[in-house]
Amino acid sequence: MLVAMPISTEHVGRRYLAEPITVTAQKIQEFADALGDPNPAYRGPDAIAPPTFAITLASFEAVLDDPELELALARTIHMDQSFEHARPLRAGDVVVPVASIEKVRSRGATDMITVAITLDTVDGEHVATATANLFHSREEDA
Amino acid sequence: MTTLTIPLTREKLVRYAGASGDFNPIHYSDHFARKLGQESVIGHGMLTMGLAMRLVTDFAAPEKVRSCRFRFKRPVPVPDDAEGAALHLELEASDPDDMGVITCSLTARVGDDVVGSGKAEVVA
Repeated sequence: MLVAMPISTEHVGRRYLAEPITVTAQKIQEFADALGDPNPAYRGPDAIAPPTFAITLASFEAVLDDPELELALARTIHMDQSFEHARPLRAGDVVVPVASIEKVRSRGATDMITVAITLDTVDGEHVATATANLFHSREEDA
Repeated sequence: MTTLTIPLTREKLVRYAGASGDFNPIHYSDHFARKLGQESVIGHGMLTMGLAMRLVTDFAAPEKVRSCRFRFKRPVPVPDDAEGAALHLELEASDPDDMGVITCSLTARVGDDVVGSGKAEVVA
């Protein structure tokens, strides 16, 4: 019988595989426009993406939605974010986001959770890794 | 040092939410933001980072960015008016190291408060 446990070091290494996503020129342009960045590199059919665009493919929602971990977006603060790029994402890339829980440090009713999301193409080319540190507070008992 | 000042308005938050897929209500609902202890809607930390990275990709082309990181130090309340929050962004670039890598130090301020800081590594 599975007993839900709140997030702990036991969950380090848990991975979440997402469906392949296609990077589109339209989405890159929308993102560049949202940043107010007129750089022509982000426009046209061969657009490359700005460095933080990877966040649109690398959401840590899968981790927050894992019922076993007892996490909640409303109790989570995004502390910091990093990206490492082998090359920019570009229009036409089909990437498979894989999220993994890298670290869990718990203290009292709070957890510091590190989630790393790799973005490799369906052909196995590594493009980028996005790593987030999340500060989570547990639900207070009634 | 290069700088950029962006009026962070509610409209920009709306556009960024749609573009990034981050629909956390704390970024569009004053009611929800206040329930979570904020004075009002706050901006996405990732929006501040994306705006700061504009300085980097203007300094060195986007494809030269090998890595970047940003810490979200303080929430950025965004008033519901025409001016929004005046987000002041700064970049300081190091000399290239032995591998030809330049480190860009980034700071984001609203008034006297540092709301975020980070670094980006670009190849020369």
